[in-house]
Amino acid sequence: MTELTLPNTPKIPLARYLKQAPDAFDQVSVQADSAVTVSQTAAAWPVRSAVDAWLGAPPVTEVFIPAGYHAEAPVQVTGPQTGSALVILHVGAGAHVRLQDRWATSGQQLGVGVLLELAANAEVDWLTYDAFTAHTAIVQRTAELADHAKLNWTVAGFAQNSGASLLTVNLNGTGSQATINVGVLASGSQHVGYTTAMTNNGRQTQGHINQRGVIVGKAHLIFNGIGHIIKGARGSDNQQENRVLMLGSKARGDANPILLIDENDVTAGHAASVTRVDRTQLYYLMSRGLPESLAKRLVIRGFLEAGLLEITDPALKQALFKQIDETLVMADA
Amino acid sequence: MSTLEIRDLHVKVKAEPEHPEILRGVNLTINSGEIHALMGPNGNGKSTLAETLMGNPRYLVTQGDILIDGQSIVDLPVDERARLGFFLGMQYPAEINGVTNAEFIRAAINARRPEDDPIPIMAYLKQLDETMAVLKMPEDMADRYLNQGFSGGEKKRNEILQLMMIKPHWALLDEIDSGLDIDALRIVANGVNQMRGADFASLIITHYERLLDYITPDVVHVMKDGQIIETGGPELAHQLEETGYEHLKAGEGND
Ligand SMILES: Nc1ncnc2c1ncn2[C@@H]1O[C@H](COP(=O)(O)OP(=O)(O)OP(=O)(O)O)[C@@H](O)[C@H]1O
Ligand SMILES: [Mg+2]
Repeated sequence: MTELTLPNTPKIPLARYLKQAPDAFDQVSVQADSAVTVSQTAAAWPVRSAVDAWLGAPPVTEVFIPAGYHAEAPVQVTGPQTGSALVILHVGAGAHVRLQDRWATSGQQLGVGVLLELAANAEVDWLTYDAFTAHTAIVQRTAELADHAKLNWTVAGFAQNSGASLLTVNLNGTGSQATINVGVLASGSQHVGYTTAMTNNGRQTQGHINQRGVIVGKAHLIFNGIGHIIKGARGSDNQQENRVLMLGSKARGDANPILLIDENDVTAGHAASVTRVDRTQLYYLMSRGLPESLAKRLVIRGFLEAGLLEITDPALKQALFKQIDETLVMADA
Repeated sequence: MSTLEIRDLHVKVKAEPEHPEILRGVNLTINSGEIHALMGPNGNGKSTLAETLMGNPRYLVTQGDILIDGQSIVDLPVDERARLGFFLGMQYPAEINGVTNAEFIRAAINARRPEDDPIPIMAYLKQLDETMAVLKMPEDMADRYLNQGFSGGEKKRNEILQLMMIKPHWALLDEIDSGLDIDALRIVANGVNQMRGADFASLIITHYERLLDYITPDVVHVMKDGQIIETGGPELAHQLEETGYEHLKAGEGND
């Protein structure tokens, strides 16, 4: 079987990041109705990777969403103002949950972990909004899906930190399904890598990765997509698309699709592109009357839209657009 | 009525200041309501003229002036010229990922309107549908990324779609007929003819008389060595079809 461990994925210097210890741990805050219980547990974080080991064994916030839970209002997890934090969310069988985690956390070297466990038939709409102001963040988010669980996950990466964002979905149970849409705006001198992995362990599982990134200024953004179908996961499907768009000559981007297939009776595919908006393109847009700032904005919004399609919250969309505009103003200055 | 006047225009490529001038004293006056055709051998400055009129920052005006109703526009950036009414149907339109045709054209229309009065979306879509029907473009072209993966002919048709939606005063059309099949040529010409009127003027660059059979020009010019060396009526295009350009020499023209 092919092995690919996270620290070895292309272009993300994870080993170097992990030489520096994580900032002191704080707690996330959780907003949810009374059916949801929250507790602090010592050393509950499972150690399965080099990143887990690096996190140490700090206390973890555990959130329990009971079986059969149904609610329109989201369960909201908010990262601390400053410092590292870990959270585990247990979603009971058959529960239907809207979940949000938002982070605007500051610090030097954050260690952030979110582990989401979906019991059989659970369905989760998950919105992640990263707006870290920390210098560096190592962010690990993992979802484990039991039989027939469904996950629809959108990750809006609008943070200012450098570092790595490791998104992992394990389709363990038969018939489980997941989609991850990732939209990232990288700017300034950010160096940030996303490794988004989708593993089909169970039979008849479906996993889709769709990553879109826009890079301005001197930023460097790396998208690694890892689709992995394990032997025995018959009838499964694994698809991924990784696209980055660079504005300006100093922006750098990479898109590395990786497909590991150990089973025959499956479907899988990938697409990747790295493109640049150049002077010629901006001239073309402006020649139809668009001011330069609008021309750039349109290109960025249009491109990210595919990653952020599922965001229906108008306030959040507005916030993201505003951030695009502000980022451009700063990049122009 | 409005007048575009090109006066003793000299142009260089900005990145190559040592390179000799590409335009070497172009004089040309176009009144609204008129269609001018610009012909001439390859590599003699036709696209350079169109791009310079549009305001492509790659070109540098070293002498002369471009005036609309007596007002110089050489210092205006490309987007301002566009909003003044210039439109360049480009010889090689750019491909832009992530922006759909429909949203781009809407943004272009709204850029000409007050910020608090954008075109109502339903009215816009109706107009877009109708115009695409005139140009016999399949509906899904509206939702495709701008020129992305379009064939050569599709790109040209898309330029004319934008022309018809934006409704400029001064349409510079650079080889819109190249890459078009015979039917498409007629369709595109029909689109341009629909724009004809007292408020519309066009400078049509072409190598082929056939386009000018569909869009009858008022005036035909020949450019060679960065100058306009011959000007005549529509019959000039037919003559050139017979004789070619060889016998015409730079400097013999009417300037
Ligand atoms: N960026 C540039 N650098 C160097 N030379 C250039 C540049 N742009 C144009 N030229 C030169 O200027 C001359 C005129 O080019 P232009 O594109 O205006 O010709 P044209 O008349 O439109 O030709 P065609 O009929 O082939 O389209 C050519 O010799 C061309 O090589
Ligand atoms: Mg040309």
